[in-house]
Amino acid sequence: MNKPILRVEDLTVTLTTRDGIAPVLDNVSFSLNAGESIGIVGESGCGKSMTALAIMGLLPQPVGNIASGRIWFGDEDMVAVSDARMREIRGNDISMIFQEPMTSLNPVYTIGEQIAEVLRRHQNMNRRQAMVRATELLDAVRVPDPARRVRDYPHQLSGGQRQRVMIAIALACEPRVLIADEPTTALDVTVQAQIFELLSDLQSNTGTAVIMITHDMGAIAEMSERMIVMYAGRKVEEGTVDDVLDNPRHPYTRGLIACVPHIQEVVTDQRQPLVEIEGIVPSLSEFGQNACLFASRCRHVTDQCLAARPPEAQVSLQHHAACWHAEKLS
Amino acid sequence: MNHPNSNADGALVDPAATDAVTDTALLQVQNLEVRFQVGSRFGVKKYLQAVDQVSFSIQRGETLGLVGESGSGKTTTALAVARLVSAAAGSVTLDGDDLLNCSGDQLRALRHKMQFIFQDPYSSLNPRLRAEQVVLEPLTNLGKLSASTQLETIDRLFAAVGLRPEQKRLFPHQFSGGQRQRIGIARALATNPELIICDEPVSALDVAVQSQILNLLRRLQSERNLTYLFISHDLGVVQHMCDRVAVMYMGRIVEFADRKSLFNTPQHPYTHALLSAVPSINKRRGAANTRIKIPGDPPDPVNLPSGCRFVSRCPIAIDRCRQEEPVLAGSAQQQVACHRVAEPVPIRQLLADG
Repeated sequence: MNKPILRVEDLTVTLTTRDGIAPVLDNVSFSLNAGESIGIVGESGCGKSMTALAIMGLLPQPVGNIASGRIWFGDEDMVAVSDARMREIRGNDISMIFQEPMTSLNPVYTIGEQIAEVLRRHQNMNRRQAMVRATELLDAVRVPDPARRVRDYPHQLSGGQRQRVMIAIALACEPRVLIADEPTTALDVTVQAQIFELLSDLQSNTGTAVIMITHDMGAIAEMSERMIVMYAGRKVEEGTVDDVLDNPRHPYTRGLIACVPHIQEVVTDQRQPLVEIEGIVPSLSEFGQNACLFASRCRHVTDQCLAARPPEAQVSLQHHAACWHAEKLS
Repeated sequence: MNHPNSNADGALVDPAATDAVTDTALLQVQNLEVRFQVGSRFGVKKYLQAVDQVSFSIQRGETLGLVGESGSGKTTTALAVARLVSAAAGSVTLDGDDLLNCSGDQLRALRHKMQFIFQDPYSSLNPRLRAEQVVLEPLTNLGKLSASTQLETIDRLFAAVGLRPEQKRLFPHQFSGGQRQRIGIARALATNPELIICDEPVSALDVAVQSQILNLLRRLQSERNLTYLFISHDLGVVQHMCDRVAVMYMGRIVEFADRKSLFNTPQHPYTHALLSAVPSINKRRGAANTRIKIPGDPPDPVNLPSGCRFVSRCPIAIDRCRQEEPVLAGSAQQQVACHRVAEPVPIRQLLADG
């Protein structure tokens, strides 16, 4: 593809806690091409949501800070731009869908007003134009009877419909990048399937690039072209979805794929115990050490893993794994 | 793969699943109904029928799965079985004892045979009790224990669920989510129960921890011949854990089958839709095209559609479905409540053509 639209370079984000300053994102780099969809997967606390918040300039204040690194949006460094410019970009060029459709809408405004607000703020539409466009957007995200629904309040909608409204708000200004942070975690599977279908259709119609953040490998397999696996604030593996799922090179990625009871095509009487990733994720105080943070849970651990942070080994042109033993684990 | 209808002839019926059903059943639930009042108008009370005519039995040592989307009544069914909400009608028999009609002391005595593991390990442990007190609480509720028995019980339970003995004195907030769920499991094991009701025991946990807890539950089951009523919305987990599965939709069981029949030859259109909606790393792209999609959201539970409850979202509904509610029927292995199952064309084909 062409030139990347979003480029994250050596991004380090720190969080100030009672026990000191912890790097919740540690030297993370990746890029996103126009129209591409990329998935970020990992357990809670691995830094996937922090990545999204850093890009959006929405890190929790005053504890969260970008310690170093650059976030290039086109030719602009979003770490350095003014707050006013950031507000222009946010919601207009880059927007975000949050996990909880129940709590991210304002209960005292109608959904039409909430969609129109974005349009009036960013596109200088007047009230009437914005409401007309809001109705069109509701239709585009397949909310039934949009002309009537536009006057409804959030509590009158189901969870799936609220998430559709969130998508309508996010896509109102036809952004070039859409960040979806666990967009379907709170929804039932049949509704999740509807939302995934809607997102892929909208993506192919509008050419918006999507960063999808999830803990579900299955969702990534269905929605994304490339994927990034994160662990303890670091990127441990990156590659095309096919490469990573077929040929994972980082022991953590392997564990993540194997430990989930996936639905089998043909069920037999045999049921093997699930593969376990022993132990638990490191605590924030252990983040940022010059060692492999997965070492304590890893079956392939050697002295080298404890002595230094593994560099990104290149497996193929697009496939990297941050493991000292990536070559051997094929 | 068998033709979906071929198992109706009984040739493939597992003997354990037919004759023995009523003899060795540990838990028998019959025509269970739970209603919640949702207001009244002009003195006429309005009810939400959360559980409607639900019947099932669980054999000793077996895991029965209840699956369905939110609002399908699976948790309410479990709560009613444990008498944590009161049932409007029906009967629940645990090991020969009638649970719904026994009172006070009797019920308390029966409770030790049946314990509960809750979904959220954060809110289901009393933050002011130490881990050992949490685990012992069900026992001390049922009678006095000597200090030495207490100590011995705690050590045994902690070892069984994989907690270290020095963690006994800690408070719940000092544990991780997975460890808290282990405390919850130890508490459920304290009374040596026969039946454990697991209500979404791993949905609040990360996938890596989830596999640890699922393996633990299966190991405990084989060691202690435990019987599980296992509630989950995650079909992958259900496929891994359960021997038989009941699929619920809006308070009713729409399909009831053993593990292999349900996943290899699903019958009800809702089961098909549920199974094909799960994103899988095996299916990959392109598979989405063959997906059976059901439109819309579940109906308003207070104003259910007439006839089949699934009619508003079913892609293959016919006029009969709008008039007459289908009943659960079929073989011992697989029962389904759908009018279109009797037709010569398999449901899978109807949905694909639909």
